[in-house]
Amino acid sequence: MAIIKSNSEIASAIWRMTVSGTPLGRAGQFFMLRVPGALDPLLGRPISICEIDAELGETTFVYQTVGRGTAQFARLLPGQEIEAQGPYGNGFPLKAGRAVLIGGGIGTAPMLQLAKELHASDPTRMIDVYLGFREEAYLEKSFEQYADSVTRNIGGYVVNDVDFSLDATYYACGPAPMLRAAASAADEASANLFVSLEKHMACGVGACLGCTCQTEHGRKRVCKDGPVFDYREVRDAI
Amino acid sequence: MQSNPLELTLCGIFLKNPVIAASGTFGFGHEYSEVMDISRLGGISGKGLTLNGSAGNKGMRVYETPSGMLNSIGLENPGVRHFVEHEAAYMRTLGPAVIANLGGHCEEDYLEGARLLNNADIDILELNISCPNVKAGGMAFGMLPDTAADITKKVKAVSKHPVMVKLSPNAPDLVAVARACEGAGADALSLVNTFLGMAIDVKKKRPVFENIYAGLSGPAILPIALRMVHQVAHAVNIPVVGMGGITSAEDALKFLMAGAVAVQVGTMTFADPNAMLSIIDGLAEYCAQEGLANLQEIVGII
Repeated sequence: MAIIKSNSEIASAIWRMTVSGTPLGRAGQFFMLRVPGALDPLLGRPISICEIDAELGETTFVYQTVGRGTAQFARLLPGQEIEAQGPYGNGFPLKAGRAVLIGGGIGTAPMLQLAKELHASDPTRMIDVYLGFREEAYLEKSFEQYADSVTRNIGGYVVNDVDFSLDATYYACGPAPMLRAAASAADEASANLFVSLEKHMACGVGACLGCTCQTEHGRKRVCKDGPVFDYREVRDAI
Repeated sequence: MQSNPLELTLCGIFLKNPVIAASGTFGFGHEYSEVMDISRLGGISGKGLTLNGSAGNKGMRVYETPSGMLNSIGLENPGVRHFVEHEAAYMRTLGPAVIANLGGHCEEDYLEGARLLNNADIDILELNISCPNVKAGGMAFGMLPDTAADITKKVKAVSKHPVMVKLSPNAPDLVAVARACEGAGADALSLVNTFLGMAIDVKKKRPVFENIYAGLSGPAILPIALRMVHQVAHAVNIPVVGMGGITSAEDALKFLMAGAVAVQVGTMTFADPNAMLSIIDGLAEYCAQEGLANLQEIVGII
């Protein structure tokens, strides 16, 4: 059980919740968050880690209110408890050298912790961040402390802004059309790209088989074997 | 030494408590063994098996509904042979009673699957004639008393394991199906599997699931499942294992009072991996409070 320290709307329907207690984990992993004792909706919601402050023992989640479950989260107040099961999933691999991070919409959230870990593991590495939003930007400023450049795109196609010909590792999280565009661009440039996938899931631990996807190496569970994959492996699942 | 008030015998198999992980919600135990103490469970019913395995259904597979969920997994599983060679021995190491759940698309699938399972160290074969999410077979075997009895009798004839038949709440006359299975030699019955339901995406103007219909589970179905368990338990003389939306010890007690000797918990585990452990603790507390030497004293009191 985690205690909510803060929970506020940072953009339209985008909320930032910081909790203390159980969570932590690493970039690209997620927690199943659930209002304690709730029977309706019953299931937890997979929410990725946005930022970890290990010193304070605090974990921040940024989530979009899309349905009744996330709407319940938005009503929680500081001091209240929230169930946080996890950390689940594999997380992003921290590859050596230059890194390019591409986040679209709420997919920008896991990119922040990724930028933080990449920077911490090698403060000299170049980190370029590209963020795409439909109407309104958020989290943008938080990236500046870790990144060499932060490029934002509102209302357009963020992937078009990215140079895929660099000697770098590319990481992307966002809506399926964005990931497909990134995959095509990576194909053309023979770039190394890791994508974080999102699928409906019930359990988060690999038991319900709700999030199975077909990959080059057979069936994989987005929650347990992912959510981060080499894009070549999951090309047909994006 | 003080006796354990939760223990029972089901089909001649010792269970240290009446809480069993429901098939299709627990894999073969690997995943939840990483997040909870699964040795404390009374039993584990493994993921539903088909003879040659299956990739499961395409498209959306899980969809949340008020106090429940629809699933259309479609029995994704590695096949009976894989289970016999790789999973059964692992499940045995976990501690809880080992139940293999066997589905099928046709009679020969069931019989060959049951024969292969004779080579596995399992405690009970749960005969799944109630999966609503596969196109051929599955639930079709559980709809009518004659077909249910026929497949039960044939599987009983080839299986060396006790056979517990898992029934579908979608049968037009569930009590008649239950009686027919008992008459065909079933050692126990488990019920209910999921209710056939549906979801529509009004924005896209099409069904959410590629199969159109899907199986509903979770607290939303509890009152109906409870009524069905009550009816069946009072109509047969073989043990009944009840399930359907159980989230707490209190829910489990309802099913026991209605006539089930044990319960299975499924969907709630997705929401809270420790739910079954809380239920076991709650049942033990109940025995202490009520001064019961054994929880089975309350089975069927209603």
